[in-house]
Amino acid sequence: MTEMINTLMETVMSNQVSIPLIEPMLDSLPEIPMLQYMVAFMLWKPLFALLICPGLTVGGITLLFFPWIERKLCGRAQWRVGPHEIVWWLGGVIQLLADSLRFLFQEVIVHKDAHRPYFLQFPFLSFMIFLLPLLFIPAGTIVAIQTPYAIQIILALVCLFPLFILGLGWASNSRFAYIGTVREAFMYFAYEIPFIMAVIAMIILYKTSDPLLMASRQSIPGIILNPVAALVFFIGAAMATGRMPFEIPDSDQELCAGPHVEYSGIAFGLIYVLCYEKGYILSALMTILFLGGGSGPAIAGLGELSGVFWFVVKTYLVLTTLYMLRAVYPRYRLDQGLKLGWSPMLCLALIGLAISLVEVGVMAI
Amino acid sequence: MEETEKDRNIRILHSGVFTPLRRWATKWSLWPCHFLTSCCGVELAHTGACGYDMERLGTLNMGISRQANFIMVEGTITRKMARALRIVWEQMPDPKFVNVIGACGQRGGIFWNSYNITRPSDIVPVDFFIPGCPITPESLLRGVRAVQEKIEGRDNTTMRFKHVELPSGDGEQEQNRAPTTPKIFAPTPLVRVDVSRDADWAFGKDMVKNLKAQLNGLYTSITITDKNRIAIKTMPENLVETSRKLSDTMGVDHVKSVNVIDVPHERKFMVEYMVSGYTEELMPVILTIFTEIGREAEPEITSLASLWESANYSERELHDFFGVQFKGNEGMKGKFLLAPDTPDTPLRKDFKLEEEHYTIEEGVPLTPAITPPHYTPPSSSSSYSEFELEDLKMPTYEDVLKEAEKNDEFVAFIGPHHSGSGHLRWVMRMKGDIIKDVIPDPGYVHRSMEKIAENRLYIQNVPLTERPNISDPINMNLGYVRAIENALGIEVPERAMYIRTIMAELSRIGAFFYDMGIFPLFMGHSTGFMYSFAIREMVLELMVRMTGSRCTPSFIIPGGIRRDISDDVLDRTRKFTTAIYKRLKKYENIFVYNPVLISRMKEVGVLTREEAIRCGIVGPFLRASGVEYDVRKAEPYEVYDKLDWEATTGDAGDCLGRIFGRLEEIKQSVEIVRQAVDAVQGMPRGGVISEEILGDYKAASDDIRGYLYNVYGNLVLPKGEWTSVTEAARGTVLYSIISDGESNVPYRVRIITPCWMNLRGIIEASKGERVADFWTVYASFGYFPPEADR
Amino acid sequence: MKMKRMKKVVGPEYNLSEKIKTNVYAVGVAMQESVYPHTMTVFYPKERKKMPDNYRGFILFDPDKCISCFNCSFVCPANAIRMKEAPNKRYYPTVDYGRCIFCHFCIDSCSSGALKATKIHDVAYKDMDEMFTPTEEMIELPEITREDKKYVEYEIEEDDLHLKRTKGEDYLFVEVPQPKEIPMVSTCIDPDSCIGCRVCAEVCEHSAISASVEDGGTLRMKIDTDECTGCGLCVKECSMQILRLVKK
Repeated sequence: MTEMINTLMETVMSNQVSIPLIEPMLDSLPEIPMLQYMVAFMLWKPLFALLICPGLTVGGITLLFFPWIERKLCGRAQWRVGPHEIVWWLGGVIQLLADSLRFLFQEVIVHKDAHRPYFLQFPFLSFMIFLLPLLFIPAGTIVAIQTPYAIQIILALVCLFPLFILGLGWASNSRFAYIGTVREAFMYFAYEIPFIMAVIAMIILYKTSDPLLMASRQSIPGIILNPVAALVFFIGAAMATGRMPFEIPDSDQELCAGPHVEYSGIAFGLIYVLCYEKGYILSALMTILFLGGGSGPAIAGLGELSGVFWFVVKTYLVLTTLYMLRAVYPRYRLDQGLKLGWSPMLCLALIGLAISLVEVGVMAI
Repeated sequence: MEETEKDRNIRILHSGVFTPLRRWATKWSLWPCHFLTSCCGVELAHTGACGYDMERLGTLNMGISRQANFIMVEGTITRKMARALRIVWEQMPDPKFVNVIGACGQRGGIFWNSYNITRPSDIVPVDFFIPGCPITPESLLRGVRAVQEKIEGRDNTTMRFKHVELPSGDGEQEQNRAPTTPKIFAPTPLVRVDVSRDADWAFGKDMVKNLKAQLNGLYTSITITDKNRIAIKTMPENLVETSRKLSDTMGVDHVKSVNVIDVPHERKFMVEYMVSGYTEELMPVILTIFTEIGREAEPEITSLASLWESANYSERELHDFFGVQFKGNEGMKGKFLLAPDTPDTPLRKDFKLEEEHYTIEEGVPLTPAITPPHYTPPSSSSSYSEFELEDLKMPTYEDVLKEAEKNDEFVAFIGPHHSGSGHLRWVMRMKGDIIKDVIPDPGYVHRSMEKIAENRLYIQNVPLTERPNISDPINMNLGYVRAIENALGIEVPERAMYIRTIMAELSRIGAFFYDMGIFPLFMGHSTGFMYSFAIREMVLELMVRMTGSRCTPSFIIPGGIRRDISDDVLDRTRKFTTAIYKRLKKYENIFVYNPVLISRMKEVGVLTREEAIRCGIVGPFLRASGVEYDVRKAEPYEVYDKLDWEATTGDAGDCLGRIFGRLEEIKQSVEIVRQAVDAVQGMPRGGVISEEILGDYKAASDDIRGYLYNVYGNLVLPKGEWTSVTEAARGTVLYSIISDGESNVPYRVRIITPCWMNLRGIIEASKGERVADFWTVYASFGYFPPEADR
Repeated sequence: MKMKRMKKVVGPEYNLSEKIKTNVYAVGVAMQESVYPHTMTVFYPKERKKMPDNYRGFILFDPDKCISCFNCSFVCPANAIRMKEAPNKRYYPTVDYGRCIFCHFCIDSCSSGALKATKIHDVAYKDMDEMFTPTEEMIELPEITREDKKYVEYEIEEDDLHLKRTKGEDYLFVEVPQPKEIPMVSTCIDPDSCIGCRVCAEVCEHSAISASVEDGGTLRMKIDTDECTGCGLCVKECSMQILRLVKK
């Protein structure tokens, strides 16, 4: 038994997040065995990645505060203030907490024509599935599961998302949900191929698909090495998350939020944060592929947390840019979105691929 | 029973372990399901826009019933809309709250004796009532605060009156007799629409000669009733032939108005078509072709819709109102504007509205009792969609459904409560992503304006006529007031004319910004909405300083305006003409010239010149299709001919053309305002009401305060039909007042609003476009349901 | 026919360079505004917009000035004003705010200045029955729930709109001068046609009309020009339409 614990502790201790700033504190921890173990577990890299960053804590903070940041920023650009009165000295920062609690406590209506089991399952299921890519995304050097195929796995999971939206729409059994679902399916085909090609371009460029190695090979950030692929990826991300110029499936004014028109209560609450979750994952992916992951000037005392810090900052930057699109653009029509996906973006993705190949060739020479 | 329903939501909030959390979360997260049935929706938009920003309080506007927990009933709930309100309320998850905003939803406001309204409080449990017509954004937010406090447990009216005892008197006074109604209805009036009048109009005299030659044998009489107005009387059997002759030889190409006048004591209906043509000579002229038919149970007349498409919807509307069958019009089955349970043929004279009471009497209720529309909760056996269609008592278009199924088409029923179409129902048939056909089902905001108008004094109709469209109130008023002034032959003082022009143009700017603010919303572009409502907020600021009310000034009265405007306000208006450009520039850059937007509007919803005329669309939308018709140029009124400005026109006829045309018109309007303000500032103050109409009260010529009723209470118009056309923001608004020369109330008022005429154009323009384009087309026409339904 | 001058509006060119330019402009505006926003929000519950003095809000009433002429009730387009008999047997107005549309035609018809406008407009009622306001409650300025500490004015300057914030509570009632006095008096234009129905005397709130039997047994109505307020009720009610309002 003790041996097992010791082996476990050894594994845990060998893979610790090193934070010089709090090391003296850790050393001076009182001799309570459980506490030490707990701290050690928390600082175990896989668990740290899962629970803190990029996992549940940072993810949760993102989901709780990014809608607020979006509303505030858009409000600012729109000559108003956004959420404000709730805790006004903090500018209404806990607005989303109130919203989500309200959803939690509100009645969930399952209407008669809905497919009851799927109608209730899909919001929760999709929320879970949407969390999975976080396991493979490294924040700086910290990652839950390190595999050389991480990027491919993330891509595969990301491409699974629309299936769940289709499920939501199908289970709703409503005309608007039906139209929205069909649109979602169309849009999915439109962005998926250029999007994947942009990622492949970067994999070719870095000659690896291990996100940690990718980050280390970006002495020059990927966005400068291959701006075309970055543009395609960004537009693809906007399409995938249904951000403004491409908010075609769940267009509020036409289809009353499309696939999720019939959802209420916590089920809608989950769907509401779903696109923010998707945005978070894609922004993290963009950070890894094009912005050098967690690389950045080391901050004294933070140790490995410095990488985490830069990762979060970059991700949030991408996320903010993605959300600011809302203040700038109206929505495309379905056929225009499809056209954009199938022609200019596909061409650009091919060009991006070519750039990568040329650069790899030049470097080889 | 209703009471428990009302308290149930609070009880839900106050039960369970997490009560404080529940209460706190609900308090700060009231998402209103906007129910913008009518005018108050304009102010709701202002509350949501940057002027007040409702989102500050956590109230994020959400059009979807399942996700909202708060209904704000903005304005009238008509009988047609009532079931929709109940269903939306039922669809919302508990706990939910309802605020009723505006007088229409309380005791009916100005529409209190309308035949088509209900009271929301009979239909759903209401938490708070907010008075106003329309409410201001501040009082709307006060309502939100009141609900928030109610959630916290303080359920109070936010106003406390102080009770002061009235003087008791010395007991010697005797009881006075209460006076009777001030309205005089002539019992058997002589109703004529072709009262001859000498007008200094040489062209008209030639034209009458010409007409007489052309229509030989078809007409009974041809009269010049006023300048630019000719009445042609014909027999019912000759109506079609006459019209065809006019259309073929004279170039008459559109119908401005269709009207039916009920004359019960002569056992006849008069049916009149006001027609005109968009040729250089005919533009200002209105030819009234009228005929008389017997007043049987099922009166019949041949429809002219096949000749002039623009008469189609008006004929269907009149079929609802009078029960007159227009043979040949396809829409004569069932009702078009009215709900199934509104009284049949309500505009016939034998249908009487509730009488007004001027004193509080025992046993007389404050308002007439209204039976709420029948509502049955869905039975467990019926599926939801069946229930929805049956219980809404809306047309289900069975034949359309069958035909669509045969052709492998998809049919969507959109509205009447939809986050993006206003209160209008559309049945959209689509094949793939292409719209095959759109069937409109209007009338959800039909508030029986015309019936009410013939039961009120002339002066009381001034506030009434601006209610159809409070985003453009001055122009709506101006038309009505000009018709009266024309009938009485009153000259308006020059200063008043200039001020009226300033206000009309400000109102036009405001209406354009309203349309161009709603348009971005339909495209999902909230920034465009905010920016244009910011500019509109400036316009309203000027309005409130001029008139004392943000949206419903009721400021233009026959003979002038209610009171003179201070120099300070004129100064501000002058500054506004330069200040607007800064924000307008930003609005253009972020919205109008946005490449995404341009790609969505260009060559979408194209109406060619011929199509536009055939559908009878009016205003800037007609001009965008290349017709050079602007009432302000064709038949100048007020001081438009003294100012230097240009009307706009375009060729494209697509959504982009309609938007750019109006953008240019805004700039022209600003120019008009600037010139007019400069002119007014150079004029001596005072004298803004015509002394002819004031009579003994000449001293009140700079401010009517104190003598409004004394001067206007007993206004009687000379016998005949008085028609005025005015260029309102969204197009030509036509008022046709028929006076019997004895009563101090109009015998009949016909109001043709631009949106009603544009409805046909929206349908035509959206056929063959993609589904998402429907909203582009719809919004590019600036369709405003209360204005269309009247 | 006047020469028409119509300006032809042509949409923008839509080529690639234009697309890029407009994209940059749109993004530029959004960036610029998120850094230096031209915010124009009024934080309502905490501050309120200062309404101009001619603002049309709730209505106050002064029974001492009222001459019970019914004009407010007659002119009200929504029939929200109905007269109620007070203890002194005079008719005074009541307002039903469930119908009032705030057009203030009543105030503009009140020649004695008994009705006055306030700037109160932000009120929420719990119950529809409360919205009926009897005369007794219209006399003093009611108290409303207020959370405002500041008031805001929209100042339209030549360049742009600016918000001017001032600490303190905005006043809600402005005393306005009395309307101009135009003294009128009721006279009988054709006493011979009088049928002696006495409606005019019965309807007169100031007992200015009295009946007297003249020599020969004819009934004559006498109008006391000092007592007559010129309200016009008798003129309206006269069944023979022989009364007129004339200048005093």
